[in-house]
Amino acid sequence: MIEQPVVFKGTRNGLRIYVAHSVQLAEVLKGTAEKLKKGKPFFEGATVNLSFIGRKFHPEEQIQLIDLFSQYMTPGTVEFKEEQLPAEQKDPLAEDNYNSFEGIEEGMTRFVRGTVRSGQRIFYEGNVVVIGDVNPGGEVIAGGNILVLGILRGIAHAGATGNHNAIVAAYSLRATQLRISGYITRAPEGETETPSYPELAFIKENQLFIEPYLPGKGKPADSVL
Amino acid sequence: MGEAYVITSGKGGVGKTTTTANIGTALALMGKKVVLIDADIGLRNLDVVMGLENRIVYDLVDVIEGVCRLKQALIRDKRFEGLFLLPAAQTRDKNAITPEQMKKLCEELKQHFDFILIDSPAGIEQGFKNAIAGAGKAVVITVPEVSAVRDADRIIGLLASQEFSNPLLIINRLRSDMIKRGDMMNIEDTIDILGVDLLGVVPDDERIIVSSNRGEPAVTEGSSLAGQAYRNIAKRILGEEVPLIDLEEESFFEKLQKLFSKNKKRY
Repeated sequence: MIEQPVVFKGTRNGLRIYVAHSVQLAEVLKGTAEKLKKGKPFFEGATVNLSFIGRKFHPEEQIQLIDLFSQYMTPGTVEFKEEQLPAEQKDPLAEDNYNSFEGIEEGMTRFVRGTVRSGQRIFYEGNVVVIGDVNPGGEVIAGGNILVLGILRGIAHAGATGNHNAIVAAYSLRATQLRISGYITRAPEGETETPSYPELAFIKENQLFIEPYLPGKGKPADSVL
Repeated sequence: MGEAYVITSGKGGVGKTTTTANIGTALALMGKKVVLIDADIGLRNLDVVMGLENRIVYDLVDVIEGVCRLKQALIRDKRFEGLFLLPAAQTRDKNAITPEQMKKLCEELKQHFDFILIDSPAGIEQGFKNAIAGAGKAVVITVPEVSAVRDADRIIGLLASQEFSNPLLIINRLRSDMIKRGDMMNIEDTIDILGVDLLGVVPDDERIIVSSNRGEPAVTEGSSLAGQAYRNIAKRILGEEVPLIDLEEESFFEKLQKLFSKNKKRY
């Protein structure tokens, strides 16, 4: 049984929406609306093929769902498949990164000159390099890696389209919140020492690690990179 | 041709109006022809702080709507040679004027004045847009509090998108005793986040409240530390190099001075 009533999965051909069999329509609509709201900048203006997988929908229910999606994007082809949900759906984060941005090693990159200030949001499918600071209240969201040649004080979300291999690196990593793919961490509470060396955040074994750029830089001698 | 400065902050209550009144008065005392524009339509305060409330006949909206001529609405401050106020309307709101109208008005005023200081309302909506429309330069006020600095950062971002590439920063209401205890953000932290040129630091001073209530800008008081800071800011606007005021003992002063010169080089 999946915990969430609805799971979105981006694929090359559009959006797959996995819906558990046992949930009520109201719950499906609610879960879907929440997800759409969260991903609003993702979907805005895009034409997206939709395929609903899992629960059976009656025609009137189908119309309601499509209406809901139409508020956020232009639906392309729409299909409803009634089938068993694949077991791997239990953990939507652990699946293939089929449609996520893959240019982690090399790929399209946007360079942002200057500081990302409070209220500003950089959103890019590929990698993002900020030549400046990211201030509190500023956000950088990238499908790939995020590099900040300055102080990262705001929010960074690398691998936003689902790539866990994405990294966040900053000259000084003091983010209020760090996200990689579906993993979120926040700054420790209270006063903490801020290291004076550049750091790198990545995911290993389902955990978000923050370490110096290179082994030997900074302090920990046992850092594995 | 005069220069138009907008004085803005994002957050309310950090001292935009007081700063406008004081810098304007200081510039006038230095022999410049200055006009203060209260762009906070519907919540006008600048006239009160300047002690000119009872002389208002026409206001900014009257000028823009053509009810009166510009000259009729300008209130001459009799105490200071060359200082004028264009008050805001109290019975209208921010939508009573447009940025284009404001721009035109400022162009006209630039013909007659050395400095135009526009007191912006708090917020980032229509009132803010009106206030910045006619200005060529921007002064951002903040206090050393996390929330105010956050808003100042937002404002600097918005100003940058409106082609105010290098706004000047005033840190208001600094308390050196609190900084020493580590209870307040220091100047260095603030500049580090905002990354703009520092125009001045104004210490927290009770007398500011007294002088605002009386309608007599603090710069006229020789003994007021804040007044001194505002006079220094006015001098810096006129291009003089003035070190920051010694707020505490020597070491702190040196730190400030170092910071100020470092800051100048960096940005």
